[in-house]
Amino acid sequence: MSTYALTPSRNLVAADLLKLRRRRGLVAVTALLTVGAMTITYGIIELLHVANPATHGPAGGIVNLGHGAWVASALGAVAAAIVGSMAGTGDLEAGVYRDLVVTGRSRLALYRSRLLGGLVFLLPFVAAGYAIAGLSSVVFAGSHAEPGVSLLVTTGLWALLQVTFYYLLAVGVACLVGSRSYTIGILLAFRLALTPILASISALGIVRELVPGVGLQGLTPAALGDAAQQGPTVPMSTAAIAAVLIIWAAAAVAAGAWRDTQRDA
Amino acid sequence: MMNTQLHEVPLDRDDMVVETRGLTKRFGGRTAVDNVELQVPRGVAFGYLGPNGAGKTTLIRMLLGLTSASAGEMRLLGLPLPQGRARALSRVGAIVEEPRFHGHLTGRENLEIVASVRGGEAYRRFDESLERVGLTARAEDRVKTYSMGMRQRLGIARCLLADPDLLILDEPMNGLDPAGILEFRGFVRSFVEEGRTIVLSSHLLDEVEKTCDHVAIVDRGRVVVQGSIAELRDSGNPTVLVETRDPLATAGLLSTHPAVARVIAEGPAVHAVLADLAVVPELNRLLVGAGQEVLRLEPAHASLEDRFLEITTRLENAA
Repeated sequence: MSTYALTPSRNLVAADLLKLRRRRGLVAVTALLTVGAMTITYGIIELLHVANPATHGPAGGIVNLGHGAWVASALGAVAAAIVGSMAGTGDLEAGVYRDLVVTGRSRLALYRSRLLGGLVFLLPFVAAGYAIAGLSSVVFAGSHAEPGVSLLVTTGLWALLQVTFYYLLAVGVACLVGSRSYTIGILLAFRLALTPILASISALGIVRELVPGVGLQGLTPAALGDAAQQGPTVPMSTAAIAAVLIIWAAAAVAAGAWRDTQRDA
Repeated sequence: MMNTQLHEVPLDRDDMVVETRGLTKRFGGRTAVDNVELQVPRGVAFGYLGPNGAGKTTLIRMLLGLTSASAGEMRLLGLPLPQGRARALSRVGAIVEEPRFHGHLTGRENLEIVASVRGGEAYRRFDESLERVGLTARAEDRVKTYSMGMRQRLGIARCLLADPDLLILDEPMNGLDPAGILEFRGFVRSFVEEGRTIVLSSHLLDEVEKTCDHVAIVDRGRVVVQGSIAELRDSGNPTVLVETRDPLATAGLLSTHPAVARVIAEGPAVHAVLADLAVVPELNRLLVGAGQEVLRLEPAHASLEDRFLEITTRLENAA
């Protein structure tokens, strides 16, 4: 492979993955927010059901899949902020970025590799967490209606989309501001505080459609009902939602790429 | 401002691994690198020597594409920058400021990361690079457990992954103990013997003199002199060493003579920088006439430090 190619090679992505997976704390936190959260959620519901079936229903079924999807998307976004900020600033904060730049490799290739490496690290955790939710919703369905394969798949894709979206925002912001802690703060404030506040201000009218969280809410599989709802729903067409999400993600990624190529390393 | 070229540099660009023309870097109103004309010949250890804040690191950062130039031209390994930067840098190894690594990864894993960025043959050079710097036994340890000297050696191993024609080392002796400095000097000389070129920035005159063949002296962002160290040593005013029973009185007497440019008393000896060696018999008569017993009077070999002080003193006087 040419050393000045613009596209990241598989080895380059593997190296970025290595930087993340060797961080024990990051692995532990990501696992806790995804696999751990699902295990705890379904474990508690099922234990309550076993202990007192008259009061507590089984842990499975469509309703609990909705709850699981809510947990997966909310805590997955937190994991995305943490992993994305680490992927975006790891080389900078370790002081290694300049040593990579002086190899002559394109900064854009390094950026893309960082973006992909983090995603390869994050998504298996999210998928594994969701697999626990999906499996539990079937195995522990009991008297509840079991979700079909189609609902399981669309709900899983919805959770993955949410996490991927916030991950892309996190990497872009991280490269833009160059600070891990600021990035996590900005992302959490945006996802957990600002988005629900903006979505609930009906006076904003159509402006609310520009908030990506509103669009993601609009993509929630209808069969889940209110169980996966995280705030008021604003009616939007799928095309409008897609446009809003793509513009936000593209703008964040492009801003990060621009900063990365312009910064004094 | 003086910009002395001490030796005739061949004009064939293939013989120059680094060449700059009017290279300038400004940070707001401050000029860190001022119109630098630098020529580094192939296959030598080249010292870029100057005090802290003279613009050494900034020049290196421009050459390596870490920051942009405000004005001027650069060529690296014969390729114009920034157009040919990627190709040029694929044959360059560099340590800027201090070698930094991912502390949570092992030495080998840190090399793996750079190898993945460099691609090609770099993967096959892991073992030989680690062995070359004596880190094979510690390669599987996390870098955060390494000493400064080990990090410096790992930095060299990282450079060697590129099988570089040119190594650019920014203040490589910083933080090293005497044994580490000696070892580092050995690395530099062995790389030169292999035909590689080393550009080494430093504020340590003595280290540059011991390690390098060529030098450029930089002061306040400008290269004030460049050439081979031997030529530089021989280029200045002649110096004589005088030893008498009373060095302070001798220094006082010598400093009154108009042909004596500078006098330095060092223990029992006095170094006198002269305008012309022809005045030596006259100086001898002056001392004897004043009742001094002259025990020794001979030409002294100037050190790089003497020349550096001579040049910078001239510049300060001219300013």
